[in-house]
Amino acid sequence: MAPSDVQLIQRVRADDTGEAMRALYRAYSGELFGFALHALGERGAAEELVQEVFTRAWRHAGSYDPGRGSVRTWLYQIARHAIIDARRRASVRPALPLHAPGEAEAGEAGPTIEQAMLGWQVVAALERLTPEHRQVIRLAHFQGLTMREIAERCELPVGTVKSRTWYALRSLRLVLEEMGVR
Amino acid sequence: MTGCEHVLPDIGAYVLGALEPAEEAAVREHLASCSDCAAEHASLAGLPRLLALAAPMEDDGLPAPGPAVEERVLDAIAGERRHRAPRGRRLLRPRVLVPAAAALAAVVVAVVIALGTGDERTPGFEVALQPVAGETASGRALLTSADAGIKMRLWVRGLPRDPGIVYEVQCDAPGWTASAGTFRADTDGRAYVVLNTAARRGEYDAIRIVRRKRSSSSDVLQAKL
Repeated sequence: MAPSDVQLIQRVRADDTGEAMRALYRAYSGELFGFALHALGERGAAEELVQEVFTRAWRHAGSYDPGRGSVRTWLYQIARHAIIDARRRASVRPALPLHAPGEAEAGEAGPTIEQAMLGWQVVAALERLTPEHRQVIRLAHFQGLTMREIAERCELPVGTVKSRTWYALRSLRLVLEEMGVR
Repeated sequence: MTGCEHVLPDIGAYVLGALEPAEEAAVREHLASCSDCAAEHASLAGLPRLLALAAPMEDDGLPAPGPAVEERVLDAIAGERRHRAPRGRRLLRPRVLVPAAAALAAVVVAVVIALGTGDERTPGFEVALQPVAGETASGRALLTSADAGIKMRLWVRGLPRDPGIVYEVQCDAPGWTASAGTFRADTDGRAYVVLNTAARRGEYDAIRIVRRKRSSSSDVLQAKL
């Protein structure tokens, strides 16, 4: 049986092979990277942040308390702190480029950590939709195409594109509710 | 007034602002007077705000860190581990490794690989290490081209639980062999090491891990070179 997250964390300090850390990395690096990417807006910075999170996790593995939350939650807490630190460092350098539009652009600090977390959850939710549903949302929301333009581009009847968009948004809402996002 | 069955499928596009102006006006008018459709609209109306927080989607799945990040993490941790290792343990190593009498005793793990056939774009490539007959060890090596040779990350498990045994990694080509360094297993019979060899990619066609014992008198390693 594969070791649990808690067993892996308890093992990392003594594990000279790095395999316990590798297992944790492979389980959580993807979502932590997505979170970091939303918070920092740039791949290189997000990769540095992921590295920082796992290095800190290794250093502080002894202070992890299973009674206070899952390993995943703990890693996210480390990530939040690392993001705050990274932004503090970035604020004395030229500003990092930021993806997130909307409210975030009002201030120069970029999205709040909560907004970054939400944004990342939305991306993860979109990934759980069918490719067809994801595509209509991508074209309509992110590329700003109308239903008619999408119908032309995809060579589909406009009625099909409309109903697909409706079902896509309903699915997205359901997935987000399952993830606890409302 | 437009019927619900015509309006409902438009509500998704309406929420996203993707209807033509005349269609949009028709939906707006209907929503003002139809509580069922208004409720459907309300359930979807919060989505654009959430979508706005998401980074623009790419078509190739979820974003992921580059493959090198995993190795950087493990390297950084291995570096800190070495730095923090108890003093006595660090001092032990050179003393045991120095003797010239150390000799090749047994080939533990051997792998024959065709180097140079890997994808040139990848930062490194991984090969599985197969045990030779009678051995139970297993492992893998990740090879990366470095400035003047190959950087090799090596993970081995299933070795005898004896930290006194020294293993050497060798890169073999027809007619010659280059050492990539030595290591020992921990008390669980496992090892993770990063080694460097001057052998360049394409210059050797096999990696061997050999067990070296002090008690042996014949210097088989030198004979091989």
